[in-house]
Amino acid sequence: MTDEYLLIDKILGGEQQLYAELVNRYKSYTYTIALKILENRPEAEEVAQDAFIKAFNSLKGFNRESKFSTWLYRIAFNTAISYKRKRKASYQSIENTIVEYDQGEDALERSDKKKYLALAMDKLNEADRLALNLFYLQEFSLEEIADITGMQANTVKVRVHRARQRLADELKLLLQKEALTL
Amino acid sequence: MKPSHNQDEKLFEYLDGTLTGVEKDALEQLLQASPELRFRLEALRKVDAQLRLVRIEHPSKNFTQKVMSRLEQYPGKSLTLRNGILLLVGVLVAVGIGSILVASGVFDGTASIDLNQTLSNKYIQKPLPTFNFNGKLMMNIIIMVNLALAFIVLDRTILKPWFERRRMSA
Repeated sequence: MTDEYLLIDKILGGEQQLYAELVNRYKSYTYTIALKILENRPEAEEVAQDAFIKAFNSLKGFNRESKFSTWLYRIAFNTAISYKRKRKASYQSIENTIVEYDQGEDALERSDKKKYLALAMDKLNEADRLALNLFYLQEFSLEEIADITGMQANTVKVRVHRARQRLADELKLLLQKEALTL
Repeated sequence: MKPSHNQDEKLFEYLDGTLTGVEKDALEQLLQASPELRFRLEALRKVDAQLRLVRIEHPSKNFTQKVMSRLEQYPGKSLTLRNGILLLVGVLVAVGIGSILVASGVFDGTASIDLNQTLSNKYIQKPLPTFNFNGKLMMNIIIMVNLALAFIVLDRTILKPWFERRRMSA
Protein backbone atom coordinates (compact mmCIF):
# COMPACT_ATOMS: atom_id res chain seq x y z
CA MET A 1 0.00 0.00 0.00
CA THR A 2 2.81 2.45 0.95
CA ASP A 3 4.53 1.56 -2.31
CA GLU A 4 1.32 2.42 -4.12
CA TYR A 5 0.97 5.74 -2.29
CA LEU A 6 4.56 6.60 -3.26
CA LEU A 7 3.68 5.86 -6.86
CA ILE A 8 0.61 8.10 -6.61
CA ASP A 9 2.74 10.88 -5.08
CA LYS A 10 5.16 10.65 -8.02
CA ILE A 11 2.28 10.78 -10.51
CA LEU A 12 0.85 13.82 -8.73
CA GLY A 13 4.34 15.31 -8.80
CA GLY A 14 4.25 15.28 -12.60
CA GLU A 15 5.52 11.81 -13.59
CA GLN A 16 2.41 11.04 -15.59
CA GLN A 17 3.96 8.05 -17.40
CA LEU A 18 4.01 6.11 -14.10
CA TYR A 19 0.22 5.96 -14.22
CA ALA A 20 0.65 3.13 -16.76
CA GLU A 21 1.78 0.96 -13.84
CA LEU A 22 -1.50 1.51 -12.01
CA VAL A 23 -3.46 0.90 -15.22
CA ASN A 24 -1.64 -2.40 -15.77
CA ARG A 25 -2.22 -3.44 -12.17
CA TYR A 26 -5.98 -2.84 -12.10
CA LYS A 27 -7.17 -2.96 -15.72
CA SER A 28 -8.58 -6.48 -15.60
CA TYR A 29 -10.80 -6.02 -12.56
CA THR A 30 -11.90 -2.57 -13.76
CA TYR A 31 -12.82 -4.07 -17.12
CA THR A 32 -14.56 -7.03 -15.47
CA ILE A 33 -16.74 -4.74 -13.34
CA ALA A 34 -17.71 -2.70 -16.41
CA LEU A 35 -18.38 -5.88 -18.38
CA LYS A 36 -20.58 -7.40 -15.68
CA ILE A 37 -22.73 -4.26 -15.74
CA LEU A 38 -22.79 -3.55 -19.48
CA GLU A 39 -22.54 -7.12 -20.86
CA ASN A 40 -20.89 -5.77 -23.98
CA ARG A 41 -17.14 -5.97 -24.54
CA PRO A 42 -16.43 -2.81 -26.62
CA GLU A 43 -18.59 -0.71 -24.29
CA ALA A 44 -16.93 -2.20 -21.23
CA GLU A 45 -13.51 -1.40 -22.70
CA GLU A 46 -14.51 2.20 -23.36
CA VAL A 47 -16.03 2.61 -19.89
CA ALA A 48 -12.95 1.06 -18.24
CA GLN A 49 -10.74 3.54 -20.10
CA ASP A 50 -13.03 6.41 -19.07
CA ALA A 51 -12.80 5.24 -15.46
CA PHE A 52 -8.98 5.36 -15.57
CA ILE A 53 -9.05 8.85 -17.14
CA LYS A 54 -11.52 10.08 -14.50
CA ALA A 55 -9.42 8.52 -11.74
CA PHE A 56 -6.31 10.25 -13.08
CA ASN A 57 -8.04 13.62 -13.24
CA SER A 58 -9.38 13.20 -9.68
CA LEU A 59 -6.23 11.67 -8.23
CA LYS A 60 -5.68 14.76 -6.08
CA GLY A 61 -9.05 14.10 -4.44
CA PHE A 62 -8.16 10.49 -3.50
CA ASN A 63 -8.07 10.75 0.29
CA ARG A 64 -6.25 7.42 0.91
CA GLU A 65 -8.77 6.27 3.51
CA SER A 66 -9.64 3.32 1.30
CA LYS A 67 -7.45 1.29 -1.05
CA PHE A 68 -6.72 2.93 -4.40
CA SER A 69 -8.24 -0.11 -6.12
CA THR A 70 -11.53 0.20 -4.20
CA TRP A 71 -11.70 3.92 -5.07
CA LEU A 72 -10.96 3.16 -8.73
CA TYR A 73 -13.52 0.32 -8.91
CA ARG A 74 -16.12 2.65 -7.43
CA ILE A 75 -15.42 5.14 -10.23
CA ALA A 76 -15.67 2.29 -12.76
CA PHE A 77 -18.94 1.10 -11.21
CA ASN A 78 -20.49 4.60 -11.30
CA THR A 79 -19.22 5.25 -14.84
CA ALA A 80 -20.67 1.96 -16.09
CA ILE A 81 -24.01 2.58 -14.37
CA SER A 82 -24.35 6.07 -15.89
CA TYR A 83 -23.22 4.78 -19.30
CA LYS A 84 -25.90 2.11 -19.12
CA ARG A 85 -28.55 4.67 -18.21
CA LYS A 86 -27.53 6.90 -21.11
CA ARG A 87 -27.36 4.07 -23.60
CA LYS A 88 -30.06 4.71 -26.13
CA ALA A 89 -29.84 1.60 -28.27
CA SER A 90 -31.69 -1.22 -26.56
CA TYR A 91 -30.13 -4.00 -28.57
CA GLN A 92 -26.69 -5.56 -28.69
CA SER A 93 -25.02 -6.57 -31.90
CA ILE A 94 -24.37 -10.28 -32.22
CA GLU A 95 -20.62 -9.98 -32.60
CA ASN A 96 -20.34 -7.98 -29.38
CA THR A 97 -22.49 -10.20 -27.21
CA ILE A 98 -20.55 -12.38 -24.82
CA VAL A 99 -20.43 -15.85 -26.32
CA GLU A 100 -17.91 -18.35 -25.07
CA TYR A 101 -16.97 -21.62 -26.68
CA ASP A 102 -15.61 -24.53 -24.73
CA GLN A 103 -13.43 -27.28 -26.07
CA GLY A 104 -12.64 -30.70 -24.65
CA GLU A 105 -14.49 -33.75 -23.44
CA ASP A 106 -16.91 -31.98 -21.05
CA ALA A 107 -17.49 -29.09 -23.40
CA LEU A 108 -21.18 -29.79 -23.97
CA GLU A 109 -21.90 -30.31 -20.30
CA ARG A 110 -19.99 -27.20 -19.27
CA SER A 111 -21.62 -25.20 -22.03
CA ASP A 112 -25.07 -26.35 -20.82
CA LYS A 113 -24.25 -25.42 -17.25
CA LYS A 114 -23.09 -22.00 -18.34
CA LYS A 115 -26.19 -21.54 -20.46
CA TYR A 116 -28.52 -22.35 -17.56
CA LEU A 117 -26.48 -20.22 -15.19
CA ALA A 118 -26.61 -17.28 -17.63
CA LEU A 119 -30.37 -17.73 -18.06
CA ALA A 120 -30.91 -17.85 -14.32
CA MET A 121 -28.59 -14.86 -13.79
CA ASP A 122 -30.69 -12.88 -16.28
CA LYS A 123 -33.67 -13.28 -13.97
CA LEU A 124 -31.86 -11.46 -11.16
CA ASN A 125 -32.02 -7.71 -10.77
CA GLU A 126 -28.92 -5.74 -11.71
CA ALA A 127 -27.70 -4.93 -8.20
CA ASP A 128 -28.11 -8.54 -7.01
CA ARG A 129 -26.32 -9.86 -10.10
CA LEU A 130 -23.39 -7.50 -9.69
CA ALA A 131 -23.06 -8.17 -5.96
CA LEU A 132 -23.02 -11.89 -6.71
CA ASN A 133 -20.44 -11.55 -9.51
CA LEU A 134 -18.11 -9.44 -7.38
CA PHE A 135 -18.52 -11.82 -4.44
CA TYR A 136 -17.51 -14.80 -6.59
CA LEU A 137 -14.58 -13.02 -8.19
CA GLN A 138 -12.92 -13.84 -4.84
CA GLU A 139 -11.01 -10.59 -4.89
CA PHE A 140 -13.49 -8.57 -2.89
CA SER A 141 -14.67 -8.73 0.70
CA LEU A 142 -18.27 -7.80 1.50
CA GLU A 143 -17.00 -4.45 2.84
CA GLU A 144 -15.15 -3.72 -0.41
CA ILE A 145 -18.19 -4.63 -2.50
CA ALA A 146 -20.17 -2.26 -0.28
CA ASP A 147 -17.60 0.50 -0.86
CA ILE A 148 -17.61 -0.02 -4.62
CA THR A 149 -21.36 -0.14 -5.03
CA GLY A 150 -22.20 2.46 -2.37
CA MET A 151 -24.31 -0.02 -0.39
CA GLN A 152 -24.08 -1.08 3.25
CA ALA A 153 -22.07 -4.26 3.89
CA ASN A 154 -25.18 -5.88 5.39
CA THR A 155 -27.20 -5.00 2.30
CA VAL A 156 -24.54 -6.62 0.11
CA LYS A 157 -24.64 -9.74 2.28
CA VAL A 158 -28.43 -9.91 1.99
CA ARG A 159 -28.26 -9.32 -1.78
CA VAL A 160 -25.66 -12.04 -2.30
CA HIS A 161 -27.66 -14.46 -0.20
CA ARG A 162 -30.95 -13.59 -1.90
CA ALA A 163 -29.37 -13.80 -5.34
CA ARG A 164 -27.93 -17.27 -4.69
CA GLN A 165 -31.25 -18.44 -3.35
CA ARG A 166 -33.12 -17.11 -6.39
CA LEU A 167 -30.50 -18.60 -8.64
CA ALA A 168 -30.99 -22.03 -7.08
CA ASP A 169 -34.77 -21.72 -7.50
CA GLU A 170 -34.49 -20.44 -11.09
CA LEU A 171 -32.09 -23.22 -12.04
CA LYS A 172 -34.46 -25.77 -10.56
CA LEU A 173 -37.33 -24.33 -12.60
CA LEU A 174 -35.27 -24.16 -15.81
CA LEU A 175 -34.11 -27.74 -15.46
CA GLN A 176 -37.67 -28.91 -14.76
CA LYS A 177 -38.89 -27.11 -17.92
CA GLU A 178 -36.04 -28.64 -19.91
CA ALA A 179 -36.90 -32.11 -18.62
CA LEU A 180 -40.53 -31.63 -19.67
CA THR A 181 -39.57 -30.72 -23.24
CA LEU A 182 -37.39 -33.82 -23.68
CA MET B 1 -38.30 -31.22 7.53
CA LYS B 2 -38.74 -28.76 4.67
CA PRO B 3 -35.79 -26.31 4.24
CA SER B 4 -36.69 -22.67 4.93
CA HIS B 5 -35.01 -19.54 3.57
CA ASN B 6 -33.24 -19.09 6.92
CA GLN B 7 -31.85 -22.57 6.55
CA ASP B 8 -30.69 -21.68 3.03
CA GLU B 9 -28.66 -18.88 4.59
CA LYS B 10 -27.05 -21.31 6.99
CA LEU B 11 -26.41 -23.77 4.17
CA PHE B 12 -24.65 -21.08 2.11
CA GLU B 13 -22.59 -20.05 5.13
CA TYR B 14 -21.71 -23.75 5.52
CA LEU B 15 -20.59 -23.84 1.89
CA ASP B 16 -18.66 -20.55 2.32
CA GLY B 17 -16.98 -22.02 5.40
CA THR B 18 -18.07 -19.10 7.58
CA LEU B 19 -20.01 -21.02 10.24
CA THR B 20 -18.54 -21.35 13.73
CA GLY B 21 -17.62 -24.82 14.99
CA VAL B 22 -20.80 -25.08 17.10
CA GLU B 23 -23.04 -23.89 14.25
CA LYS B 24 -21.37 -26.30 11.85
CA ASP B 25 -21.88 -29.27 14.21
CA ALA B 26 -25.53 -28.32 14.74
CA LEU B 27 -26.13 -28.05 10.99
CA GLU B 28 -24.41 -31.36 10.26
CA GLN B 29 -26.69 -33.05 12.82
CA LEU B 30 -29.70 -31.52 11.09
CA LEU B 31 -28.37 -32.69 7.72
CA GLN B 32 -28.05 -36.23 8.99
CA ALA B 33 -31.64 -36.18 10.18
CA SER B 34 -33.21 -34.53 7.12
CA PRO B 35 -32.97 -35.95 3.57
CA GLU B 36 -34.77 -32.82 2.26
CA LEU B 37 -32.13 -30.57 3.79
CA ARG B 38 -29.39 -32.76 2.28
CA PHE B 39 -31.09 -32.50 -1.11
CA ARG B 40 -31.28 -28.71 -0.77
CA LEU B 41 -27.61 -28.55 0.24
CA GLU B 42 -26.72 -30.48 -2.93
CA ALA B 43 -28.75 -28.06 -5.08
CA LEU B 44 -27.07 -25.06 -3.44
CA ARG B 45 -23.65 -26.71 -3.73
CA LYS B 46 -24.21 -27.03 -7.51
CA VAL B 47 -25.13 -23.33 -7.75
CA ASP B 48 -22.07 -22.45 -5.67
CA ALA B 49 -19.81 -24.60 -7.87
CA GLN B 50 -21.13 -22.96 -11.03
CA LEU B 51 -20.74 -19.48 -9.60
CA ARG B 52 -17.14 -20.26 -8.80
CA LEU B 53 -16.63 -20.47 -12.56
CA VAL B 54 -17.14 -16.68 -12.67
CA ARG B 55 -13.76 -15.47 -13.76
CA ILE B 56 -11.88 -12.29 -14.29
CA GLU B 57 -12.02 -10.86 -17.80
CA HIS B 58 -9.15 -9.16 -19.61
CA PRO B 59 -9.37 -6.07 -21.82
CA SER B 60 -7.56 -5.71 -25.15
CA LYS B 61 -3.76 -6.07 -25.22
CA ASN B 62 -3.14 -2.38 -25.94
CA PHE B 63 -5.55 -1.17 -23.24
CA THR B 64 -2.86 0.58 -21.19
CA GLN B 65 -1.45 2.26 -24.29
CA LYS B 66 -4.91 3.54 -25.20
CA VAL B 67 -5.46 5.01 -21.74
CA MET B 68 -2.03 6.66 -21.72
CA SER B 69 -2.47 8.14 -25.19
CA ARG B 70 -5.89 9.50 -24.19
CA LEU B 71 -4.26 11.09 -21.15
CA GLU B 72 -1.67 12.76 -23.36
CA GLN B 73 -4.30 13.91 -25.85
CA TYR B 74 -6.58 15.36 -23.20
CA PRO B 75 -4.45 16.39 -20.25
CA GLY B 76 -6.31 17.31 -17.09
CA LYS B 77 -7.58 20.84 -17.29
CA SER B 78 -8.24 21.29 -13.60
CA LEU B 79 -6.52 24.17 -11.82
CA THR B 80 -4.14 23.38 -9.00
CA LEU B 81 -5.22 24.76 -5.64
CA ARG B 82 -2.33 27.25 -5.54
CA ASN B 83 -2.95 28.59 -9.04
CA GLY B 84 -6.67 28.71 -8.42
CA ILE B 85 -6.28 30.74 -5.25
CA LEU B 86 -3.84 33.12 -7.01
CA LEU B 87 -6.30 33.57 -9.88
CA LEU B 88 -9.17 34.13 -7.44
CA VAL B 89 -7.19 36.77 -5.50
CA GLY B 90 -6.20 38.48 -8.78
CA VAL B 91 -9.78 38.60 -10.02
CA LEU B 92 -11.06 39.93 -6.67
CA VAL B 93 -8.35 42.62 -6.56
CA ALA B 94 -9.29 43.68 -10.12
CA VAL B 95 -12.99 43.81 -9.12
CA GLY B 96 -12.10 45.88 -6.03
CA ILE B 97 -9.98 48.38 -7.96
CA GLY B 98 -12.65 48.64 -10.68
CA SER B 99 -15.38 49.29 -8.10
CA ILE B 100 -13.31 52.00 -6.37
CA LEU B 101 -12.65 53.73 -9.69
CA VAL B 102 -16.32 53.57 -10.69
CA ALA B 103 -17.36 54.96 -7.29
CA SER B 104 -14.87 57.82 -7.57
CA GLY B 105 -16.41 58.89 -10.88
CA VAL B 106 -13.45 58.17 -13.15
CA PHE B 107 -15.73 56.48 -15.68
CA ASP B 108 -18.65 58.91 -15.50
CA GLY B 109 -17.97 60.43 -18.93
CA THR B 110 -19.17 59.13 -22.29
CA ALA B 111 -16.76 58.41 -25.12
CA SER B 112 -17.85 58.29 -28.75
CA ILE B 113 -16.27 57.00 -31.94
CA ASP B 114 -17.21 58.80 -35.13
CA LEU B 115 -16.28 56.45 -37.99
CA ASN B 116 -16.82 59.26 -40.57
CA GLN B 117 -13.91 61.20 -39.07
CA THR B 118 -11.73 58.16 -38.45
CA LEU B 119 -11.87 56.74 -41.98
CA SER B 120 -10.86 58.62 -45.08
CA ASN B 121 -13.74 60.01 -47.22
CA LYS B 122 -12.68 58.13 -50.34
CA TYR B 123 -13.63 54.79 -48.70
CA ILE B 124 -17.03 55.99 -47.48
CA GLN B 125 -20.02 56.05 -49.80
CA LYS B 126 -22.76 56.53 -47.15
CA PRO B 127 -22.43 58.30 -43.78
CA LEU B 128 -21.46 55.80 -41.01
CA PRO B 129 -23.03 55.73 -37.51
CA THR B 130 -21.36 57.19 -34.44
CA PHE B 131 -20.86 54.84 -31.46
CA ASN B 132 -21.28 56.19 -27.93
CA PHE B 133 -19.71 54.37 -24.96
CA ASN B 134 -20.89 54.87 -21.43
CA GLY B 135 -17.76 54.26 -19.34
CA LYS B 136 -19.66 53.47 -16.14
CA LEU B 137 -21.86 50.88 -17.87
CA MET B 138 -18.84 49.24 -19.53
CA MET B 139 -16.98 49.02 -16.23
CA ASN B 140 -20.03 47.58 -14.45
CA ILE B 141 -20.26 44.84 -17.12
CA ILE B 142 -16.54 44.06 -16.75
CA ILE B 143 -16.92 43.89 -12.95
CA MET B 144 -19.92 41.52 -13.27
CA VAL B 145 -18.01 39.25 -15.68
CA ASN B 146 -15.07 39.18 -13.26
CA LEU B 147 -17.36 38.32 -10.36
CA ALA B 148 -18.85 35.43 -12.34
CA LEU B 149 -15.29 34.26 -13.15
CA ALA B 150 -14.40 34.50 -9.45
CA PHE B 151 -17.37 32.27 -8.55
CA ILE B 152 -16.34 29.69 -11.17
CA VAL B 153 -12.74 29.64 -9.91
CA LEU B 154 -13.95 29.36 -6.30
CA ASP B 155 -16.17 26.43 -7.26
CA ARG B 156 -13.56 24.56 -9.33
CA THR B 157 -10.57 24.98 -7.05
CA ILE B 158 -12.00 25.07 -3.54
CA LEU B 159 -15.65 24.07 -3.20
CA LYS B 160 -15.80 21.13 -5.63
CA PRO B 161 -12.63 19.38 -4.32
CA TRP B 162 -13.78 20.00 -0.74
CA PHE B 163 -17.22 18.45 -1.32
CA GLU B 164 -15.59 15.60 -3.27
CA ARG B 165 -13.28 14.87 -0.31
CA ARG B 166 -16.25 14.96 2.06
CA ARG B 167 -18.24 12.60 -0.17
CA MET B 168 -15.33 10.17 -0.43
CA SER B 169 -14.72 10.19 3.31
CA ALA B 170 -18.44 9.64 3.98
